[in-house]
Amino acid sequence: MPPTPPKAPIDRRGFLKATGAAAAFLAALAADPEKTLQAIPTAEPLQAGEVPGDGPNADVLIRMQGDVRRALKKAPADRRWVMVIDLRKCVGCHACTIACVAENKLPPGVVYRPVLEEELGTYPTVTRRFMPRPCMQCDNPPCTPVCPVNATYKNEEGVTVVDYDQCIGCRACLTACPYGARTSDFGYTYTEGTPVADGLIVGQAAADDYERAANYEYGRAWDRHEHGSPIGNARKCHFCLHRVKNGMLPECVTTCIGRATLFGDANDPEGVVAQFIHQPNVIRLKEELGTEPRVYYIV
Amino acid sequence: MLKRSLYLLGALAVLAGVYGFYSRLFIGERDVNYGSYVTWGLWVAMYLFFAGVATGAYMLATLDYLFDVPLFKGTGKYALWGALVTMPAALITIGFDLGHMERIWKVYLQPNFLSLLAQMVWGYTLFLAATLVSLWLAVRGRRDWAMKAAMSVGLFLAVFLSGGVGALLGINANRAYWHVGLLPAQFPVFSLASGTALMLILIGWIGRADDPRRPQQLAVLAIMSVVLALVKVYFLWADFSQSLYSGLPDNVRAVNLVLFGPYGWAFWGLQIVLGTAVPIVVLLQPKLARDGFWAGLMGVLILIGFGVARANIVFPALAIPELEGLVTAFSGPHLNIEYAPSLMEWSVVAGVVGLATLAYLLGTDRLPFFAVKTEVTK
Repeated sequence: MPPTPPKAPIDRRGFLKATGAAAAFLAALAADPEKTLQAIPTAEPLQAGEVPGDGPNADVLIRMQGDVRRALKKAPADRRWVMVIDLRKCVGCHACTIACVAENKLPPGVVYRPVLEEELGTYPTVTRRFMPRPCMQCDNPPCTPVCPVNATYKNEEGVTVVDYDQCIGCRACLTACPYGARTSDFGYTYTEGTPVADGLIVGQAAADDYERAANYEYGRAWDRHEHGSPIGNARKCHFCLHRVKNGMLPECVTTCIGRATLFGDANDPEGVVAQFIHQPNVIRLKEELGTEPRVYYIV
Repeated sequence: MLKRSLYLLGALAVLAGVYGFYSRLFIGERDVNYGSYVTWGLWVAMYLFFAGVATGAYMLATLDYLFDVPLFKGTGKYALWGALVTMPAALITIGFDLGHMERIWKVYLQPNFLSLLAQMVWGYTLFLAATLVSLWLAVRGRRDWAMKAAMSVGLFLAVFLSGGVGALLGINANRAYWHVGLLPAQFPVFSLASGTALMLILIGWIGRADDPRRPQQLAVLAIMSVVLALVKVYFLWADFSQSLYSGLPDNVRAVNLVLFGPYGWAFWGLQIVLGTAVPIVVLLQPKLARDGFWAGLMGVLILIGFGVARANIVFPALAIPELEGLVTAFSGPHLNIEYAPSLMEWSVVAGVVGLATLAYLLGTDRLPFFAVKTEVTK
């Protein structure tokens, strides 16, 4: 029988482990459990009707909400809604695309704000660029004069809108847009063709009803039943006018996880967007066409 | 025999169109392959085609009723009836392309006259009215100032509307392939060529075989067709060589798509060889050019070539994405840059061609206007 090896004396590492564990156990016994749970401070809850604190150090979303509310006090023609997209901050998460789809209840095949991805360079000097592309809300839009029935036009705030009840669905505006910013609604739903089974929390029928329920673009209900508009119409981003007129930011702005999308009144020198659009590292797409887009990209 | 075959083909085409008409009228645009990127497809191409044939046929009718060319006396009614039949064909195809065709009345009552589309709708309405008035005057045997005035107005509209079709595409400055000043200028020539090809068919296949002027009429129309085909080839050369030489990427891509893309065979095989080269060779043979069957057949080939040419003008320009990465940024139905007409789209076109063919044949066979004139000619 081989001799049993002698037991090793406790080393320095083992000593520290044992001491640390004992100290932690004693500290836990002494601590107030309620205080431990409240270690991360949270903001005081807002009262009904209360607006979060404004000021230069406030979150940019809060500041922009203030900008929007300030702009709404002006005459519509005095506002100049613009969007600024900081491409350095965009991480390509597509949250804005999805938020827009949810906000406007966009059906399959209709998209207002895709995020274009481009791979630049070759390995090892390679990078990816993400470029959200909402409607450019051009000051000289090529899409409006081609409409045979004045269904699409710039409203008094300079935002290009579509009157779904007037649109005949000729797609001349889709053809004329240099940014591919309009899509046609062919009347699909996301739930069609999905399995129908009893016992699901939300069955296909209920989900389909939800999809066909009215959305509230331009501040009124658009019912998709019976092939009603906006099915058959040209559709496009409208800077979430229905939200903006109620003092809210466009959904894509609110949702951006990197605060890469900014929105506001360019005519307000105190506003957030006014600080960016005159910087030298700002570009607009296809400037050579003279369309004067209201979407600015920080590069 | 030939006429019976045309009746049969027309009826079969109408039958083939039942599915497409039903699908479009009762289901909607779900089964089409055009969409939000390739915004205009086969129906718009066919609208350009039929509108060209209609306005071209009207131009040919002026030889009889406006310019009193003795050789073409008696052919005007065939041309006018052809215009009256093919213009509705154009309007059906473009009407079906509308997302809300039931709202077309808005173009009349709430138009934006700065829009070329609105101008065209009004123009086509006036053109149809001018064609009806011309035909009515022709039925009554009028060749006086009233007929001249009606034909003058109709001719102006035919030229204006032909150019307008080109401008409808050309005004889109964002589409490099279309945005050339020459485009609207080309289309009246295309219309005249289409109308001439139609007349080759009408006189060669449907007109009276015992009309002593027929061989000479066909010979002149054949020469016109050859000259117009050469002009058409020159236009193609001017467009494509300029585009390729300038090297503007979007333009080069569109031209390459036509020449060497997945449907390059349609350009080379149907548009150039079958629709241009073969008719030129055949129609330059005096004996064949004066033969009703061969002249009519060449007319059909020329029209097929024009149909393909219209498609080759519309689709490639739209198959170039406006922004890099746009097509892959979001996927969904009708968000595709590669376009091939769906079965339903083809079905509608077949139905429209069938209806136009049957309407033309029934008109020439049943309308007393044609019978009386035939006897007079006899």
